[in-house]
Amino acid sequence: MALGVERYGSRGDTIAFVACLVVALVTLSLPEALRAPIAAALRRSVLLPAVSIESRVAASRAERQAILALRAERDSFALAASQVPGLVTENAELRALLRVRRRLGTGFVTAEVLHQSGLTDGLTLLLSAGRRAGVTPLAPVVSPTGLVGMVTTVDPRTSVVMAWSHPDFRASAMTAGGKVFGIVAALRGERAGEVMEFRGVPYRDTLPAGTLLVTSGLGGVFPRGIPLGTIEGMLSEAEGWERTYLVRPAAHPAQVTHVLVLKPVAAGDSLGAAFRVPTAADSAAAAALPADTI
Amino acid sequence: MRLGPPRLRLVAVLLVLLGAQLALRPWMATSPFAPDFVLVALLFFAMRSRPGAGAVAGFVVGLLSDAVAPTAFGAGAFALTIIGYVAGWLKAVVFADNLLVTVVFVFAASWLRDLLELAASGALRAGAIGGELLVLWPASALGTAAAAAIALLLFRGLLRSAPAS
Repeated sequence: MALGVERYGSRGDTIAFVACLVVALVTLSLPEALRAPIAAALRRSVLLPAVSIESRVAASRAERQAILALRAERDSFALAASQVPGLVTENAELRALLRVRRRLGTGFVTAEVLHQSGLTDGLTLLLSAGRRAGVTPLAPVVSPTGLVGMVTTVDPRTSVVMAWSHPDFRASAMTAGGKVFGIVAALRGERAGEVMEFRGVPYRDTLPAGTLLVTSGLGGVFPRGIPLGTIEGMLSEAEGWERTYLVRPAAHPAQVTHVLVLKPVAAGDSLGAAFRVPTAADSAAAAALPADTI
Repeated sequence: MRLGPPRLRLVAVLLVLLGAQLALRPWMATSPFAPDFVLVALLFFAMRSRPGAGAVAGFVVGLLSDAVAPTAFGAGAFALTIIGYVAGWLKAVVFADNLLVTVVFVFAASWLRDLLELAASGALRAGAIGGELLVLWPASALGTAAAAAIALLLFRGLLRSAPAS
């Protein structure tokens, strides 16, 4: 086919067209026994590279789809596995709660914390138990590790808890042995919501780090012996008057999922045994032991 | 910028389209819009060639595609011979480099190819077209026309004033 300048078909073009058309129609009318070998010969010769490339591309496409399916399965497993630590933590918390329940015996209501997505979650908590379950205002709310807060509002099916991290929260506290008394409140400022402060400690008393603080039972709201936290260090001191200590809380409101709401207790009741708080006698015995045996 | 002799440039574009047919088309095999790059290549060649050359090219391409799917061996050759010949005539009436003309012609050629192939294979008599004629073929023809438009935009510099052979 030489290069030409004509824009319209010549007789040669017509002959070529008719010839091709006739050959195509002849090919079409060939019996199957003849057509199949011709097609096979073309596939094995001229089309071999093309067929080979196409089959490789098709294979790689199938592999890619298999990889995508595997990746989707892996992602599903990863998602399922990511929930395991949360379940383990929740399981451990529930087991601990069961142990406290057993030791408390009666006089409490179990409730689930309905965490909210708002910024104030952790300052006030919504519980799944309300008046119908026996929850009353000012009832102490505890987790297996210690005091969470107290009930402020009670609805028929839910109740609102002011957590210890709330700026208005106060609790009368003492050291586990009952030697030093003061007031526990949430620390304000940079670490607000994370730690507490133990105020009003007489200047003559010094508390080493690690000292356990529990509710004192004074004031009639919280029974004696609920763990509040442990002393981390001294925060400030008013010369010759009082000291304020930093306290690491026993329970973090933002992390608890299940709580016990205590029913009103009689004055003088102590929950120290339920939380395994060492008594004054224990403290004295520990103090009497040589330092290297503790 | 002159890239080489006009015929070589055309051959280069045809090879790219052939490569696309082998490498890209299998990835779109399940889509009704899967383009037929070989048909685009044939039409690009035929629209820049004499009608006889277009007919011969159509016959060869059709025969080879019949060999890959030999249900009605010769039907594709028959259909593409006509398409190639008509495309060769087209340059007498329109400009082959015109995007709109190319897209419309490729769409029509794709649809006509399917119709002719089915008619030649005898399936048209069986009345098995119906929805295919109105739904599947236009979808495939649209994909092929879109591929032709993209190729023309990409290779316009190479295809411009390609020679008649």
